[in-house]
Amino acid sequence: MTRFKLANLIAYGFVSLFSIYVLMPIIVMVLTTFKSKREIFLEPLGLPSQFGLSSFEKALSVGLGSFMLNSLIVSFFAVFLIVTISGMAAYVLSRIDFKINKFVYLLIVAGFAIPPAAVLVPLYTMVSNLNLLNSLFGVIMPLTAFGIPFTVILFYAFFLDFPKEVEEAATIDGCTKLQIFFRIIVPLSGPVIASAAIFQTVWIWNEFLLALIMLTSDDFKTLPIGLLKLRGEWTSDWGAIMAGLTIAVIPVLIVFLIFQKYFVRSLAGLGK
Amino acid sequence: MDKNNTQTNSFSLSNDKVSVAILLIPALIFCTIFIFIPAIGTIVGSFYSYSLTSMNNWKWVGFGNYVKATQDEYFWVALKNNFIIVFASIVLQVGVGTILAAILDRGIKHGKVIFRTIIFTPMVISSVAVSLIWLIIYDPNVGILNAIFKSIGLPTPSKGWLGDPNISIWMIMITAAWQNTGFMMVLILAGLQSVSKEVYDAAEIDGATGVKAFWYITLPMIRNVLIVAILITTIGAFKVFEFIFVFTGGGPANATQVLGTYIYLQAFNLLHMGYANAISVILLIIALFLGWLQLTSSRKA
Repeated sequence: MTRFKLANLIAYGFVSLFSIYVLMPIIVMVLTTFKSKREIFLEPLGLPSQFGLSSFEKALSVGLGSFMLNSLIVSFFAVFLIVTISGMAAYVLSRIDFKINKFVYLLIVAGFAIPPAAVLVPLYTMVSNLNLLNSLFGVIMPLTAFGIPFTVILFYAFFLDFPKEVEEAATIDGCTKLQIFFRIIVPLSGPVIASAAIFQTVWIWNEFLLALIMLTSDDFKTLPIGLLKLRGEWTSDWGAIMAGLTIAVIPVLIVFLIFQKYFVRSLAGLGK
Repeated sequence: MDKNNTQTNSFSLSNDKVSVAILLIPALIFCTIFIFIPAIGTIVGSFYSYSLTSMNNWKWVGFGNYVKATQDEYFWVALKNNFIIVFASIVLQVGVGTILAAILDRGIKHGKVIFRTIIFTPMVISSVAVSLIWLIIYDPNVGILNAIFKSIGLPTPSKGWLGDPNISIWMIMITAAWQNTGFMMVLILAGLQSVSKEVYDAAEIDGATGVKAFWYITLPMIRNVLIVAILITTIGAFKVFEFIFVFTGGGPANATQVLGTYIYLQAFNLLHMGYANAISVILLIIALFLGWLQLTSSRKA
């Protein structure tokens, strides 16, 4: 019995320690925001003596508001396009059975494997030649493309398990595949649409590399690129840098905590 | 994902070509324009020498860029660092993630959702923000890591936690593990929860409980999930970019470069586009090989 208790203690101890490791940087970030410069240097482990808000003003002065707006626009359009286009393609792939199907499927898997870094130069050249550098449209288009393969795979698995009877009845009634998809399949696909949208929103909201090479003007920077400006502007003013991060991170954490069940569910499905 | 060919198919393609085309073509167009054509462009461009400033001035160099890569010490450093990150990530993220998942599955009774939520949280924070947060923790002047080490009387590295490449590569790993272990935990936890209770009951009759039961019974049963977890981690390790870009910029003296940051350096700082393409092709081959591994292993599953 004592052995059992010891095992229990180790188990709780391990997850607790790991949780502290996870929480500690977030706590440091928030606390540093309120500390004075003096406190930051002299008492790294100490608490702030007062809740000063001057750091927030400095952080906002680099234009975090407009970076966030750009991120919202990019995320909204890219995720909408990814989910719509991927759902349509996955439905066809799961319902038709002919040679090209296998070829398209292999293409999709290849597309999933190719990282943006491996096609960086030609992609930059292409967007530059189209005169789309420093435009949100120019970054939404390639981001959409890179989101499609994974989302097709996610939808495909869902559609394979979809009961076929309703669709067969609809076909007899003379519906085309297009009508079946939009009138029958889409309304019944809420959970998988939510999963795909959550997954892609997290990815697009945080995407860095493509935005880095394509958005060099402050007017069009998304949040991850804009955050670098915090360090550029407030080199060793850690209070200002951490205030900027707090502004950027806390809303995402709140959204996550509200929807955490769905986040976890959509990620957990990957292993199946 | 299983490619199932036995599905019943009551639709005939021939009388609904228009619908099929409308549904399928947008995805193909997007992927072709922004993934496949650039991938071909990378391969073609790797045989030329050109720079951003002389876009129309391509010079054929054959395999010259590849020969250059084999002789480039920093290319090998970058490749080696990627492999270090692969192995360390598998141990730290999949290994620790498995332990955490096992504890949350059957090791503890209370606080499961709270622990799971906390540990998963960093996954939703952008890697740039994560890097900047850890930058203050590692800072030699104001960082809490130094403060903690000093307060318990341990020595701190003289060049700072990010100044010595032998140390900074591990600091990068600790940060990457901070962000990704929760994801692995959730993935593996889903696998563990699909193991039925009867299995454990049967194991208990045979005298296998606790860690023993986990090692001999549970682990083999979630083998496929573990393979997926290892592959996702490996693919992720080859995509590492932000941590290094923010922490060290690949330095000092290129000692912490990885393929991603080295491609960026060659292309956008040094303007060696052809050479950057050649390194990209090598990354492309590794990525496609890993993708193929993932496909074959999930087909077996």
